[in-house]
Amino acid sequence: MNGVFYLSAIIGILATLMVVTRLNAVHALLYLIVSFFSVAVIFFVLGAPFVAALEIIIYAGAIMVLFVFVIMMLNLGSKSTKQEGVLLQPRSWLGPSVLSGILILEIIYLMAYSGSSPISSPAEIAPKQIGMALFGPYAIGVELASMLLLAGLVGAYHIGSRRLLDSSSKRGDKE
Amino acid sequence: MNGQELLPLLPLLIVSVFVVLNLIVISLYRNHQTTALLTGLGLVLALISTLFIDKSTPQYVMPLIIVDRYSIFFVGLILLAALMVTLLSYRYLELQKESRKEEYYVFLLLTTLGSSVVVSSNHFVSFFLGLEILSVSLYALIAYKAEDSLGLEAGIKYLILAATSDAFLLFGIALIYADTGQLEFARIAPMFDSGHIGFLLPGLGLLIVGLGFKLSLVPFHMWTPDVYQGAPAPITAFLASASKGAVFALMLRYFTKIGIHTNNSLLTVFAVIAVASMFGGNLLALLQNYVKRILAYSSIAHFGYLLTAFLASGNLAFSAVTYYLAAYFVTILGAFGAITALSGSKAEPDLIDSYRGMFWKQPLLGGVFSATLLSLAGIPLTAGFVGKFYVMAAGINSHLWILVVSLVASSVIGLFYYLRIISVMFSKDLGNSEATGSDMTGMAAAGFALVLLTIALVWLGIYPSSLIALIQKIVPNPA
Repeated sequence: MNGVFYLSAIIGILATLMVVTRLNAVHALLYLIVSFFSVAVIFFVLGAPFVAALEIIIYAGAIMVLFVFVIMMLNLGSKSTKQEGVLLQPRSWLGPSVLSGILILEIIYLMAYSGSSPISSPAEIAPKQIGMALFGPYAIGVELASMLLLAGLVGAYHIGSRRLLDSSSKRGDKE
Repeated sequence: MNGQELLPLLPLLIVSVFVVLNLIVISLYRNHQTTALLTGLGLVLALISTLFIDKSTPQYVMPLIIVDRYSIFFVGLILLAALMVTLLSYRYLELQKESRKEEYYVFLLLTTLGSSVVVSSNHFVSFFLGLEILSVSLYALIAYKAEDSLGLEAGIKYLILAATSDAFLLFGIALIYADTGQLEFARIAPMFDSGHIGFLLPGLGLLIVGLGFKLSLVPFHMWTPDVYQGAPAPITAFLASASKGAVFALMLRYFTKIGIHTNNSLLTVFAVIAVASMFGGNLLALLQNYVKRILAYSSIAHFGYLLTAFLASGNLAFSAVTYYLAAYFVTILGAFGAITALSGSKAEPDLIDSYRGMFWKQPLLGGVFSATLLSLAGIPLTAGFVGKFYVMAAGINSHLWILVVSLVASSVIGLFYYLRIISVMFSKDLGNSEATGSDMTGMAAAGFALVLLTIALVWLGIYPSSLIALIQKIVPNPA
């Protein structure tokens, strides 16, 4: 299965390079999703199908939310329709679709092969094992991660709220 | 897992509880004084709880955390530093225009929690999570002031560079894991003794890059002056003391275990970094005109000195590093504390000229600041002198001549810029230094902290044996 691994690794690197070099945020986000897909395939090959699913649900899902935000912010009536038209041009969706198409083919190949062992690692890690690890020896780690998320949440709230305050106070000055 | 097992974690648990408590109180009743008092109470309770932990044997909480004398000592040190920062911050925040002052304390408690986790971690997972809690709350603290674009810039710089260094750290951890199949420090250490190298050395190299960033050692030091300058002064104090100290304490414990003294390549890498940090920090500090930038470069140099003792072997090295760290905590908290206390509602005194004649206008604060600068320079009768002496003794004992010679030479260079600040403060020519704050709101708390720090500074300088005796007890089974 090394071939599958290398192919998805190359796609991952290519997609990430495209993320960094795209000028249009939406195009970059499309490539970012492809990059997450390729990482998910790598996880699958390594024998961690649960983590692969999480990678798609959480990361790609988060990007979808970002997408919605971008569309929301660009929502300026006729201008947004023009924006949609630009997005529907093959130039903007062809690259990501080709890359994710290859990844789908890989997954189909792996599925078809599942009669033998589709993975290159000695054992497949099932969701149950992950749950047991998280509630067993790593329980403190889960708690620490919750504190980390709390720090990020409150920090984002504090720094993000300043722009709201600034703009509202400026508006107040004008009036 | 039961309650008994969690008992050694009491200080960390108390800090976490007060984080949540603070958040609840803030959402119900937004009051600066209440939050500050609650934070102080939490830190004091956590400090008291460290006394009640059974220290006779090292205790492991799951595989993630180790609680022994060594980690408890550093947790106590970090909690003390956080307490001092809380005392210093109250007046500083009162004078700010910032409308939301209360979240500051939540972040402060979270950074305290993060650094405490780092010093007591026994596993890459807890180490990395602790480090992330530490840095994420530091981003928010550095960029805390809304109207301050310099702080915002510093926050973004720290965010991007810390994320990059985390990538190095993670890749290093992945390589080490790929080779050993272990994430527990205690189990990785023996792999080195067997002479097996594989991915271990490249992994360790990447790890050193990540740690070097956190400690702002020379090739990875670029962020330090900007962040030190942009961050609020009390936060700079915490950044310089607790956050760096925690990482160094962890490094000391485990790099000693993996036999850094016998591995030539590691020894060379650290020696080069140490010499570069000592000279780089001290020489670049000469060119600065801003006091906080000078202190930033001086901190780079100080961690170079620390590496000298770190590379020395044996018991002496351990106690030298620990003593130096404790002395440095006291000194740098005092120095940035004085800057905090001198700052008014408009700005912090930053340009070296705004300190002109400080000693004659604010004799007490000027005196405290001079004392801390003298300690940083390593003048006798201060904690810094004993620390430097100890570090040199450790270096000489292990025949690290190049490092010791660079330490002496670079200290002499360092003397110049410390004395330059002091001479400006003592100059009779008062000039135009209206930036110095004479606002006395909440000065009592800050003054109390500064008095405590100054007493500790002189006490450690005159009578170091009390601390040394304590440190000798905490050294984990000598290497």
